Amino acid sequence: MNETSTDINHELTLDANATAGLLHEIFGVEMTAAPTECANCGNEAEVGTLLAFTHGPGFVLRCSACEHIVLRVVETPEAIYLDARGAVYLRLARSRNKPLENDALGG
Amino acid sequence: MSEPFVSRGFVGKRRGGTEKAQRIPPGQYLTEDFPVLSAGPTPHLSLDRWTFKIEGLVKQRVSWTWGEFLKLPSLNFVVDISCVTKWTHLDMRWEGVSVDTLLEHIELDRKAAFVTAFSHEGYTTNLPLANLINGQAFVAYKYDDKPLSPEHGGPARLVVPHLYFWKSAKWVAGLRFSEKDRRGFWESAGYHNHGDPWKEERYS
Amino acid sequence: MRQPLDWQIATLKDVKPETAKVKSFTFTLPNWIQHRAGQHYDLRLTAEDGYQAQRSYSIASEPEQEGEIDLTVERIEDGEVSTYLHDVLVPGDRLEMRGPIGGYFVWEATFIPEPLVLIGGGSGVVPLMSMIRHRAVAGSQVPTRLLYSVRTFEDIIYFNELEKLRADGSGLEVFYTLTRSQPPNWNGYNRRIDDQMLKELIKPFDKSAQVFICGPTLLVEAAANSLVKLGLPVAQIRTERFGPTGA
Repeated sequence: MNETSTDINHELTLDANATAGLLHEIFGVEMTAAPTECANCGNEAEVGTLLAFTHGPGFVLRCSACEHIVLRVVETPEAIYLDARGAVYLRLARSRNKPLENDALGG
Repeated sequence: MSEPFVSRGFVGKRRGGTEKAQRIPPGQYLTEDFPVLSAGPTPHLSLDRWTFKIEGLVKQRVSWTWGEFLKLPSLNFVVDISCVTKWTHLDMRWEGVSVDTLLEHIELDRKAAFVTAFSHEGYTTNLPLANLINGQAFVAYKYDDKPLSPEHGGPARLVVPHLYFWKSAKWVAGLRFSEKDRRGFWESAGYHNHGDPWKEERYS
Repeated sequence: MRQPLDWQIATLKDVKPETAKVKSFTFTLPNWIQHRAGQHYDLRLTAEDGYQAQRSYSIASEPEQEGEIDLTVERIEDGEVSTYLHDVLVPGDRLEMRGPIGGYFVWEATFIPEPLVLIGGGSGVVPLMSMIRHRAVAGSQVPTRLLYSVRTFEDIIYFNELEKLRADGSGLEVFYTLTRSQPPNWNGYNRRIDDQMLKELIKPFDKSAQVFICGPTLLVEAAANSLVKLGLPVAQIRTERFGPTGA
């Protein structure tokens, strides 16, 4: 086990948890527990496991297995840009109170 | 709330600089540091497999190995650098090969008007050819008299001082010439296509 | 499905020094929502000219503490926000915050019966402390082990409280490792976290422990990799990297 490193970039690496507030802003729900699949290697894991690089012009979230980009977010004064091409899917669970469309009782 | 909340007594780390103020583009703050900013883990490239290529709309593709690249005439450059994340560092000292020198080894197709600089780990950034020539860009392999460290883009990176630093592709692997402008990594996701700090061309 | 996450203006109620470089700040929140242990709040500071700085801080207090939250913050020498909190902010001052945030690095006493292993480096102990405090208030008896790595004895945050909790018979064990210097008669660990230390740590739980690791990125990654090598399933290990080692 080696904790020493001269690579400050490695030390600056975070988990997607560090971007949880921004992801919540985009999706309207807490996202770090949302399952996702890496489009490059197929690794399925929660968004929270993605490696986060937050010190550049935008946030980049990478697969913890293959390090390919899964999500990319840029914040400008006017907008938020989201690039989700690196994810096969993001799974957002329904809240339990929401009636199903086909539910006769729900109307 | 019509007015943003202001935190009592908060100033932040910026230093506007006094006698150097005219050299700092709008919206930037002066730093003596060289912040490490990146979009991914630092690649550790082996020098014996490193190459620099020029391809695309050129009469003949050309490629240099590390040994060959070091034999090219190099220059010392002292330039001011501005990053879109708001830091500006004045008088940064680099050593490397001018892009003009590299272009002497190829014959450009007449239709080549745009360039994509590409990196060894997938990064790209785009510029008009006119922004790359006549002493405006170089491929640097030394910073502050020391070999360029991997976190800062070593063994070699592009440096284009008159544009925001995201155009100065780290771990540069080559230049690709094309007829059409192709937006690069940040330019295709909200950042300005050109990126002139003096006009504050940050976002698209 | 949509839950708004809005900025609100919190008021500083109290400041408590924990160590020479660490303080705990108690904020009252107009729109307090019960958080889950392990979550954090985003703080935002705005200067008169509009310049903004934003940071995330883990909640130190237990979810059961109503209306207010404690944030424990280490003062980083050239840190924009931590120096403001430590040097400028006084009780009565107000601050913009949003939260609670996070759904991955969280632990709830009632839902997760597996033994709990908490590994913290430096101020990485903060979200783990929220879990420990929550565990105590909830009356949980889940076997829990905390491994806490700091440089010196004086750097241990929450020492008295941890000592009290480990003696309360609920099944909490606390192991400290002091990596730089140790007081005389110290019989705890005295080195960086390594394979052997982790092996001893998880031994009673075999491979059934739920693990939370928080602290400097390198410490977190080294510990996580080591545990995977020791046979712990990756899905049982949750990490929160804090970035570079603090000052």
